[in-house]
Amino acid sequence: MSDAHTGADPFADTIAVEDFAAAASRPASSPVRRLKIAFTGSGSEYFRIWIVNVLLSLLTLGLYLPFAKVRRIKYFYANTLVDGEALSFHGRPWPMFRGFVLLVALMGSYALASKFSPTAGLLAYLLLCAMWPALWRAGMQFRLANTGWRGLRFGFSGDLRSAYLAFLPVYLPAIALMVAQYFLLGDMKPATTPEELAKFEAAMKLNLAVSGVCGLLILGLAPWALACIKRYQHNGFHYAQEQTQLDLPTRRFYGLGLRIFLIGILPLFLTGVLAAVLLPLAKGRPEIFPFVFVALLLAYLFFFAVSGPLFNARLQNLVWSGTRSPSLQFDSRLKARHLILLTLKNWLLTALTLSLYRPFAAVATARLRLESVGVDLQGDLDRWVSHARLGQSDTAGEAAGDFFGFDMGW
Amino acid sequence: MDRASSAATARLQAHFFDGRSARPQRVQAWVSAGRLHLQSEEDQSLRHFELQEVQWPERQRHGQRQAELPGGGLLSHHDGKTWDAWAQASGLRDSLTVRWMQSWPYAALALLLCLGLVTGLWAWGVPWAADRAVALMPGAVEQQIGAQALSWFDEKMLKPSQLPQAQQNAIAERFAQALNKAQARSAAQGRGARPWPAYRLHFRAAGEAMGPNAFALPGGDIVMTDALVQLLDQDSPQALVGILAHELGHVQHQHGMRMVLQAGMVGTLAGLVVGDFSALIAGVPAVMAQAAYSRDFERESDAVARQLMLDADIKPNVMLDFFDRIEALRKKKGGSDNSLPIAFASHPADAERKRFFGAP
Repeated sequence: MSDAHTGADPFADTIAVEDFAAAASRPASSPVRRLKIAFTGSGSEYFRIWIVNVLLSLLTLGLYLPFAKVRRIKYFYANTLVDGEALSFHGRPWPMFRGFVLLVALMGSYALASKFSPTAGLLAYLLLCAMWPALWRAGMQFRLANTGWRGLRFGFSGDLRSAYLAFLPVYLPAIALMVAQYFLLGDMKPATTPEELAKFEAAMKLNLAVSGVCGLLILGLAPWALACIKRYQHNGFHYAQEQTQLDLPTRRFYGLGLRIFLIGILPLFLTGVLAAVLLPLAKGRPEIFPFVFVALLLAYLFFFAVSGPLFNARLQNLVWSGTRSPSLQFDSRLKARHLILLTLKNWLLTALTLSLYRPFAAVATARLRLESVGVDLQGDLDRWVSHARLGQSDTAGEAAGDFFGFDMGW
Repeated sequence: MDRASSAATARLQAHFFDGRSARPQRVQAWVSAGRLHLQSEEDQSLRHFELQEVQWPERQRHGQRQAELPGGGLLSHHDGKTWDAWAQASGLRDSLTVRWMQSWPYAALALLLCLGLVTGLWAWGVPWAADRAVALMPGAVEQQIGAQALSWFDEKMLKPSQLPQAQQNAIAERFAQALNKAQARSAAQGRGARPWPAYRLHFRAAGEAMGPNAFALPGGDIVMTDALVQLLDQDSPQALVGILAHELGHVQHQHGMRMVLQAGMVGTLAGLVVGDFSALIAGVPAVMAQAAYSRDFERESDAVARQLMLDADIKPNVMLDFFDRIEALRKKKGGSDNSLPIAFASHPADAERKRFFGAP
């Protein structure tokens, strides 16, 4: 899959279509051209599409959702112009419907299992953990294999083993935490004698210590985990002969994590301290309690409204500006301030209109995020030819992705 | 063919991608005799496609139009209006869904229907579906979930009861006698002697936060806190029977299980509408639903309790003493009566419940 980075001639492994292959020249000889990304969608039009989709989804008790999703993606793609030519979506609703049913069944049985017994809950959790990287990869394969531009399909070539390796830094501490909790607390009987009570309290203390260590480990490893996941994703995209790669040292992700921590999480921590100071004051005076409650709620909302978009903007810039392929160099210049203000506005209006503003919010967010990305191209697009035969997936894995039809995230 | 003859002249200049090269070819497109024809402007070569095999784009005001052709080709046009005019002249029709989506009056109608549907699902659909689901659910599942919940409470919030065993037995006995009496009365009056559901009464010591309290779990476990017994057992022993009857009402109507199902369904419903936009916003309807449905359940259980007390020759107004004591306790602790709006309160207002039990 890495022919494109290592080979001198990026066209070497394409399936020859005689005239194009003969005419192909080295891209390095051409000047650099900027491909602009523009988004032309309209909130009011998407509102009409959305409300009819919602109605049909409600009438069918959710069974219409995959069909609604195809229409939504097609609308957003038809309005995403890269160098003046829109993206196209080729996913078929019925395969996506199969994947949707499977995912719902999986999530439903997981939710039910944890209510039923701790053992069943743990087993369901481990099963979900075991399947998730494969499902996640299948989802990316499906989405990219069904996304086209200028008549050529994109693709995702990350392999299954690497998908599991990418999730390892998330999984190890999380699974340790889950297993520790199960063995320490899972089978506790209600304590009826003082000895049992003492045993129970000792187990609680041990559990607290293990949870604390695992929690810190998860927090400390989070930037590394993010780096692994993003590297796996951005090393796997391909289009025509181009294969992307992400050259970012892990420390850049730690830098991002630290900044988010200082700007986003520290205020939350300070609010907690403030709450600890303020709440005892309110104890004797019930009349100021509602004010304290509202102040804490606002601080909580602020945390989500600021740290979330801040993180998303910084991550988009970091990752896309580090992504390139032999003839393409991406960059993203999304101003975090703009995304934070837009998110605040979206939340406020969505809440005030009882969610009717949601389609407008989706369009505005897509516009801001897409239009801040650009691509520098070296070479002549007209000479690019497809990697694989069209209409067929190039690996068995892609066929699996097609069968499941998973599609997660926007 | 009528369509073919009238559309023969409608031609569109568009871009064709063959699916192998990223290079666009300028083509003339037209529809005739049930087929789409493309003629290259470069080498005049012709391509033909059956209309049914083409994936046509939906009409919309914004964005480009792309038709997916069999064999991996793509017909693309940058100007939607020109394409739509050509498609219409060529006899291609919009689907019903697209016509709805492109009309403001129909979109407004869809909005009204959505509101009606959500209201209907909330008021009737969700409770009805929960009823059916609870009826289908095996008793063992419910018991298992209840046992699970009880051991959770025992771990996190409850301690073994400090009450003498004799006092616990006396309360259980008093309640059992009231049940027998009520059952006999109800049978004698020909109101159908539906047997009371199986229940297990547990006494537990609880912390300050829970205070005097009683609650029922799915499967028939009823928990009563020591503080509640201490509050009432000396002065209004029959009020304890009333409270237990209320909890038995929850057990009888399987409120615990129904709450789990109904809150889950409302959460799913909210997810359908609000979706991935924000888990926080999607959570609000679920919380409100929990409170609103919970109030309905409390009213239903109050009705069970009142009837049971009447049948067991206990005056329902002994419950007034309980409400007064709880109110006094709340005032003493310094909490205001109704600091949160009614939409978030899980029980009906005390005044309403007092009227219900105080009525002769």
